[in-house]
Amino acid sequence: MPNELILPAVEVKQAPGRKLYCFAVDGKLVHRFAAISRVSRKEDGGLHGYQRPEVLSHIEGIRDYIESSSPMVPNAIVLAFDSRVRFKAASGVTTTPYSRPGVLIIPLGRDEQSDEQKPGFVVDGQQRIAAIRDATIRSFPICVTAFITNDVRQQTEQFLLVNSTKPLPKGLIYELLPRTDAQLPVQLHRRRLPALLLEQLNLDPNSPLKGMIHTATNPVGRIKDNSILKMLENSLNDGALHKFRKLGSKEADIESMLELLRNYWTAISRVFHPEWGLSTKQSRLMHGAGIVSMGFIMDTISEHIQSTRIPTDLQYEAELQSLRPMCRWTTGEWDFGNGQKRKWNELQNTSQDIDLLSKYLIAQYRSRVMHQEKTPHRTSRR
Amino acid sequence: MKFFLPDSQDLVDPSFDFERERRSTTRQRQHDDLYAHEVFSTPTIDGLLVSKGIVDGFGATGSRYTQSQRLRLLRHGAPRFFRLERAPNALKLMGDCGAFTYVHEEEPPYSVDEVLEFYENCRFDHGVSLDHVILEFNPGADIPGGKNIIDASIRARQKLTLERAKEFLRKHKAGRYSFEPLGVAQGWSPKSYASAVKSLQKMGYDYIAIGGMVPLKSREILMCLEEIQTVRNPATRLHLLGVTRTEHLREFARLGVASFDSTSPLRQAFKDDRDNYYTNGLKYTALRIPQIEGNSLLQRKILSGQIPQERARKMERACLEAMKLFEAGKHTVRQVVEVLLEYERLCDREQKKDHAGAYEKTLTDAPWRNCPCDVCKELKYHVIIFRGAERNRRRGFHNIWTFYQQLRNLGLEATNTRQETERPTHQWRSRANG
Repeated sequence: MPNELILPAVEVKQAPGRKLYCFAVDGKLVHRFAAISRVSRKEDGGLHGYQRPEVLSHIEGIRDYIESSSPMVPNAIVLAFDSRVRFKAASGVTTTPYSRPGVLIIPLGRDEQSDEQKPGFVVDGQQRIAAIRDATIRSFPICVTAFITNDVRQQTEQFLLVNSTKPLPKGLIYELLPRTDAQLPVQLHRRRLPALLLEQLNLDPNSPLKGMIHTATNPVGRIKDNSILKMLENSLNDGALHKFRKLGSKEADIESMLELLRNYWTAISRVFHPEWGLSTKQSRLMHGAGIVSMGFIMDTISEHIQSTRIPTDLQYEAELQSLRPMCRWTTGEWDFGNGQKRKWNELQNTSQDIDLLSKYLIAQYRSRVMHQEKTPHRTSRR
Repeated sequence: MKFFLPDSQDLVDPSFDFERERRSTTRQRQHDDLYAHEVFSTPTIDGLLVSKGIVDGFGATGSRYTQSQRLRLLRHGAPRFFRLERAPNALKLMGDCGAFTYVHEEEPPYSVDEVLEFYENCRFDHGVSLDHVILEFNPGADIPGGKNIIDASIRARQKLTLERAKEFLRKHKAGRYSFEPLGVAQGWSPKSYASAVKSLQKMGYDYIAIGGMVPLKSREILMCLEEIQTVRNPATRLHLLGVTRTEHLREFARLGVASFDSTSPLRQAFKDDRDNYYTNGLKYTALRIPQIEGNSLLQRKILSGQIPQERARKMERACLEAMKLFEAGKHTVRQVVEVLLEYERLCDREQKKDHAGAYEKTLTDAPWRNCPCDVCKELKYHVIIFRGAERNRRRGFHNIWTFYQQLRNLGLEATNTRQETERPTHQWRSRANG
């Protein structure tokens, strides 16, 4: 085992007295020369270190990705070295006033040396390094940006600076999802299919929702992307869209899903014509509570019309007509029975209110359907 | 005697990989997961008890269902939702209100009409009338002159429960509902229970659930059943809500108990300090190897820098590794116990519990190696590890299976089973509006 690593590197002068070193190293080796400086208080109350502990679930996600077929991690990790690490400039090669190539010489201790003896500290990228350390792969080279300092204060400053970025807005992430097919963390993975359907509904010229969903690139949309995503997720998990998914596989019959959605929401836009297309302030139908509840009605009606695989817009329309009289999307008050009344604009986008509204509409629909059904067919139970 | 398992959406994920501790990325909750009755090739239960309080959630007790799952249950009915056709034996469904979820309320939060509607939509075989639990128990009230020991608010609960039972039965008849109704008896002493049973029989009930017995000692339960025996019609069957006392089942049967429900075989797997793994004789203590991120005490110490995370992870891995080596015959009982206790001391510095003796017993007997149930055959030593939900719940399933075997070995066949009436299953039954 060599007692030092010699790596090709580029030295970059950024500002007076500030030098950075860019190089690549096998991620499996990083823990041999760089420690994590965990935050804690000493006996006397003094603060020590700055790093938080590893977040295991996050590491698992990265690890899964690294173990997938052709992973790429383009963002560099950031290390701070003490003065035991040296840069040796190469001679007779191209340089610029601010950068020159050479080698970085990192002393390596024995495999089991204690953290205090290591010349480096991880400022940014501890989860990535941990994921590479744990992954069942032989090696995984990563890019590193390093600076040399003996001062913990500088490390802490850099640590705070790299970690105080603002996370991406959720809406932008959802809009980008359909364009990807790599292995993503579970919670993103779960939203990929709904995001794909949303995009189609928002773009397709035949869609009743064309241009109506508010997204990062469509700020004039009247319906919040999250309302539509929730409605789609509910139906994909437990409702009318579920049968077009294949259990235990990523495949799904997207075309049939879109056809059903187009038919149903076209019927909604006709039956509730005056209330459709207004702002959420003017019409609660366009609001989270309205969209999600009417999604549950979509599941209820689809199940009831079992004659065809995908009901037509006219079939949906006929069923929705029976609900029109008791809906109060833009004015008046809902009467949920048991003395429960609610002004039209007091309906909130909360699970309690959605529950109340959905249950009421489903019960109304059922009682109407039961009145019409003279001779229901009977089958035995088991 | 029939055993009903109370549902609280206890499922296991068959895609879970115990070596890597990962799930399949394509897994769909509930659809791909398995209930206890889908895991075993032989019968484990006679039926499920589904509570309105668990399905809807109430107050601090959140629902175990998502909104869309709840609506699917009501649309499809419970037989399809719970995939009963995949059970090895014909299962019955019983509905109740889950009165423990609203025990601290003045009045039950549901109306009788709502409850009937819920039972009908779910297509249950049996429906328990709307009740209100009485937690007090004081046999002294039965002594002449002891009447005034019992607070008026407690008496009011019994009165309310009986009134609702009357309304429930009346509306059940008028609405021509197809499930079989059970009345509920609540009481605070043997005589008060007996008088409730007497009233319910008078109303016309011949299947009666006895409520509020969960906190009672076995001796007290028997006292009540003996007293009820003095008023019970020979044809009246009893159901004990939330009670398992294996050692008294024979006496229960003699006293007219036809069915009972209990979660304790399942819950003891991951709630009990000692009795986590059932066998036909002893109950064994499961070996605790908590997940670092799942153990809040340990997590706090790591976050505050008192314990190096690396060290905790090393120990956790060492424990899992030691179990693997033990199963392969390369580790002795002592070696494994040492590693387990070292990790346990790290997780719990105060060492309130000393598991050394219990662990030694578990490892020496290695009961999972002799268990013929489907879980133990598939999971092997993982079944005895007290860790995440996937292992713990499977151990619970094993307990249910073992308990059911014991129940059957007692030879307590259900008494006076009634003729099953065929019931319609079309979408929404048309009912005479009575």
